Amino acid sequence: MAGFATLSQAWMAWDGPAPAPEDAVLDHTRELEKFLSEVERRAFRIAQVSLRDEDDALDVVQDAMLKLARNYSAKPSAEWRPLFYRILENGIRDLQRRRAVRKRLMAWLPGPKEDPDEEAVDPLENVAAGGADAPGLLMQEQAMSQLEISLRALPARQREAFMLRNFEGLDVAETAKAMGCSEGSVKTHYSRAVHTLREQLGEVW
Amino acid sequence: MNEHSSFEDHGRRLFDASVENLDMRVRSRLTQARHAALDASTSPPLRFLRLPVWSSAAGLTAAGLLAFAIWVGGPMARPHHASPVPESQASLEDLDLVASSDGSNAAPMEMLQDDIDFYEWAADKTASGDPGNVG
Repeated sequence: MAGFATLSQAWMAWDGPAPAPEDAVLDHTRELEKFLSEVERRAFRIAQVSLRDEDDALDVVQDAMLKLARNYSAKPSAEWRPLFYRILENGIRDLQRRRAVRKRLMAWLPGPKEDPDEEAVDPLENVAAGGADAPGLLMQEQAMSQLEISLRALPARQREAFMLRNFEGLDVAETAKAMGCSEGSVKTHYSRAVHTLREQLGEVW
Repeated sequence: MNEHSSFEDHGRRLFDASVENLDMRVRSRLTQARHAALDASTSPPLRFLRLPVWSSAAGLTAAGLLAFAIWVGGPMARPHHASPVPESQASLEDLDLVASSDGSNAAPMEMLQDDIDFYEWAADKTASGDPGNVG
């Protein structure tokens, strides 16, 4: 049987130059890293808009990245984006369902009521101190806050369609895959979302 | 139609700006999450889950033999001698000895743990019959 004659021989081979990496595996990992680094911040903001909680949004995004890497990274990279957002949207929906159950439960219990959805949003909180363009940044923050408030008031499917199509730039077919519905439904949800948002924001924007 | 498009463009620009303005704490946590996901995608599944049935049986047999050897060679099997220190105290002293061993005379188990990658790699090489280029 071929092998190392002695342990020291094995140590010498171990210390020597590394064998050529398996290019395919390395390329695949790099591609996955590139994809995740491209989507992670946008995915976080999408989750944050829906959940209104930074830590919950981070958890949901982390979970989506792990699930994609573990279960679907072998799929063609062209399929990653809709798959990733499908996992993300499922995670967001699960968390919202759990919150709704907890809220109902809390309503039955005595004591102070916990309701994170009633927290006031202060756009000044997120504005960087100082900065040459602070007024412009503040206006942007305020406009985005108004958009977020209006988005949260939308039905969930309309909100999803709007964020995936408009924020993330998925086409209709990708959005349909991500939402698990037909392309026709995506068009309907999106068009209704834009209509409602324009009605609400048109004058103040 | 144009008005519609500019409305959507404005929303997208605001969203892009909010992504750009994410604070360092969030960015850092996202980077950590990404690395964790990449590790999960590259780490192989646990090896014992892939063992064929015969090797599981062999492993169980070996474990049984080892347990038997420990039992035969253990304190239960030895003739009882009066110990100069109580058993619990002796155990604590043993623990202290293990814990206080420094790098110059490190415990073998510690060395094994440090070099576990090497031993795995050497085993793989031997199994594949390719010892590599050795001078």
